[in-house]
Amino acid sequence: MTLALQATAVVALLYFAALNAIYLVFTGIAWRGVTHHLRARAYSGEDEAFASPLTPPISILLPAYNEATGIVESIRSLLTLRYPEIEIVVVNDGSTDETMRTLVEAFDLVRIRKALRDAVPTKPLRSAYVSRRHPELLVLDKENGGKADALNMGLSAAQYPYVCAIDADTMLEEDALMRVAKPILDDPSVVAAAGGIVRIANGCRVDHGRVVEVGLPRSPLATLQVVEYFRAFLVGRMGWSRLRSLLIISGAFGLFRRSLVEAVGGWRTDTVGEDVELVVRLHRYLRDRGEEYRIEFVPDPVCWTEAPEDLRTLGGQRRRWQRGLAETLWRHRGLFMRPRYGVLGCFGFPYFVIFELCGPLIELVGFPVTIYAYATGRLSLPFLIGFFVVSLLLGVLLSVAALALEEFSFRRHSSTRDVVRLLVFSVAENVGYRQLNDVWRLLAFVDLARRRRTWGAQQRRGIGVRS
Amino acid sequence: MQALFAWSSVALGGGSVMFVSLLLFRRIRLYRIEVERDQAEERLEPLALALVSGEETEAVDTRDAGVLAGLLSRYARQVTGDSRSALADYFEASGSVDRAMAALGDRHAWRRAAAADLLGAMGSEQAIGALRDALGDGSRDVRTAAARSLGRLRASAAVEDLVRVFVTADVAHGVAGEALLGLGSAALPALRALTHHGDPGLREAAVELLGLLGEPADSPLLVARLRDSAAEVRASAARALGRLAAEDAAAAVRGALDDRIPFVRAAAARALGEIGGRDAAPALLALARSDHYDAAQSAARALARVDPELLAAAGREEFGQHVLEAADRAAIRS
Amino acid sequence: MTEHGPLVLVADDDDDIRSLVIFRLERSGYRTVVARDGEEALALALERVPALAVLDVMMPKLDGYEVTRRLRSEDATRGMPVILLTARAQDADVARGFESGADDYIRKPFSPQELLARVQAILGRR
Repeated sequence: MTLALQATAVVALLYFAALNAIYLVFTGIAWRGVTHHLRARAYSGEDEAFASPLTPPISILLPAYNEATGIVESIRSLLTLRYPEIEIVVVNDGSTDETMRTLVEAFDLVRIRKALRDAVPTKPLRSAYVSRRHPELLVLDKENGGKADALNMGLSAAQYPYVCAIDADTMLEEDALMRVAKPILDDPSVVAAAGGIVRIANGCRVDHGRVVEVGLPRSPLATLQVVEYFRAFLVGRMGWSRLRSLLIISGAFGLFRRSLVEAVGGWRTDTVGEDVELVVRLHRYLRDRGEEYRIEFVPDPVCWTEAPEDLRTLGGQRRRWQRGLAETLWRHRGLFMRPRYGVLGCFGFPYFVIFELCGPLIELVGFPVTIYAYATGRLSLPFLIGFFVVSLLLGVLLSVAALALEEFSFRRHSSTRDVVRLLVFSVAENVGYRQLNDVWRLLAFVDLARRRRTWGAQQRRGIGVRS
Repeated sequence: MQALFAWSSVALGGGSVMFVSLLLFRRIRLYRIEVERDQAEERLEPLALALVSGEETEAVDTRDAGVLAGLLSRYARQVTGDSRSALADYFEASGSVDRAMAALGDRHAWRRAAAADLLGAMGSEQAIGALRDALGDGSRDVRTAAARSLGRLRASAAVEDLVRVFVTADVAHGVAGEALLGLGSAALPALRALTHHGDPGLREAAVELLGLLGEPADSPLLVARLRDSAAEVRASAARALGRLAAEDAAAAVRGALDDRIPFVRAAAARALGEIGGRDAAPALLALARSDHYDAAQSAARALARVDPELLAAAGREEFGQHVLEAADRAAIRS
Repeated sequence: MTEHGPLVLVADDDDDIRSLVIFRLERSGYRTVVARDGEEALALALERVPALAVLDVMMPKLDGYEVTRRLRSEDATRGMPVILLTARAQDADVARGFESGADDYIRKPFSPQELLARVQAILGRR
């Protein structure tokens, strides 16, 4: 018993030490990456790229399920994106509300017969429409099959060499596509995919589907997420991207080379984490073929989304993310610690398994175990207090560092009052919010276990729930 | 152990406090700097606009000179013609060009790149030599900035260098391409020569740019590339002929509809849509019924431009999904 | 700044371009009214009925093509000459510009002198 206790305590300690060391290193890497990116942006020639006939056209794929309230605004803002040539492929995934009717009226849609590639099987198409007023808008009405299925249909209908998968409630900045496409423009034969940072729109003023004024949410839960996203996106993803191991491109906004997505079979419909799964599969495919490639992360603010403001929805979202991650990691367990897969296989993958998958368990178990060890006299009080203070302060330091990075670079939050509020929440994030997240992520495993027992039951999940 | 924790706590606490202070301090400082700069810019704006128009103005004291230079380089990016020449003269006279050229030798890559970029904005031809040298810089960012500036300066002397960096990918691809396009017809001789190069990648790039910059007289050169051994070059040649709307090449492009590689067929179909001429209609219709998606789509769309009546008629029969789609779309447009 | 020259509407979301265009026009005797986005441009055009409109294509809310189209559909502004200002001038874009009813198309980076010449040419004809 004593041995088990000691072992657990040691594991917990090692875990915290390793995790925080990694975070610190990542913060450094991300800092350098963002600084470099910002400097390079000044002479990156974005304006010329906009005007250039060499800039490749993009097909935007927009899966929609019961989005009647916001879809028209979304599409209107897409139509005014600052990018030379795009088409917008809206896929109505068997909505049960007024989505189709709203679209037909708002955009003067006319039915056409649409030719589809048979690359990736999907649920059948019911009808296709083109907008009389906006010839670049194509609307596909299909039977419900989930977000991945809708994306695959969009893929089958897209005409351009690049596809951009977005969510219906994502609000893109005007230059978003230009910015995320920049790595591809610079190295078209190498860069296979690119993702951007997702920011939280709660508290921001939105006009015509665009964020015009940045503000902090009133809801404490949403503000916590703002702080969390700095650390997760700006530091986390930037770091992974620089290490050539970016495993996650958010489903809210991701740009891919169409031929590659087709080659790997499109998005998988049997997982909740279809966005993560696709990126991992792309890595695997390209590394198996030994091709030189990069999957890039662009740190500029490009898209905004509404974050859940109540515990129930947020919890559901986090459980779903964790489930998706677990499913993906399990499916691609062949990458684990294989030298062939480079940094991705030997560091990135293990990191996600240890710190993202098993991490919640260790964090939550380590806490009571350490208390118990103290209560039974095996740990001294100073040690206990020291341990907790150190972990708390480290967490705070990392959150504050991420916030500082944002402030030093993009400075979207312009008032000092907002910065102070974010600082306060940076501290608060480590006291309770993280632990709550751990609980949700543990519950995700319960969800997974339950799903296996009810294997065969139809899992119909609307797209609108995911964000 | 306890001491370790104690010291760690102090260090971390101190670290956090340091960050926080840095944050707040820097924010306040930046805010003040910005306000000052905005005020200075507002004050100097009439002067700057006068300079852009080539009017004579009084000298500016050194404190304002920096802000003025920044303001003027912003304007310089937006204008061409006489205004740009006027600004170039000003930058040369005030020593800004010399300072930027000196900065091309800075230790830090990002400063070199910023200087290279600024030289393009300032518009002075004095910088061309130094920028050409910068195309060989160790940092890709610097090379890219230099290429961009050479394009904006319309530096025909740098054609060969730019073509070289375009194909070797030493410079960001989009930027290099744009720079070459900026050179315009000055780049043509070098591009024409490149269409015979041994490396198919170079041939493809040259052909693509010829399609964008070339003249009708380049049509035979491009037609020859329709029989290139590399498929990418053939497709690129078809695209280029389409962009040039080279009617004399129509027959040759029609021949490419039978290419054994699908994307070449697709490119040829698209080009025929841009070239026009009803002669191509039957071949396009046949391709539109074929099973390869991209080729069939391109053919159907091209048919809509080349022979709308034939397309409409085919749409009434069952000639395959691509024909039907193209017919439906055409019906909407009319 | 003269009080009697013809009124020109200048619409662009970029501060610098607005300054440059306004300066050139006002220096040459025109009066200007300014908009920062498509909606403002349309509203001002209908309200003040300028003699000519210089419109950026890529503007927030309504792009230059759309504003031109709407101007052409209103009696008060149907005949108003429109010059489109844009970074992108491929054949397709130029064609689209003229299709929406614009009278002229100027590429960015632009020459203020040339813009002035075109304005003078158009307004001189009337």
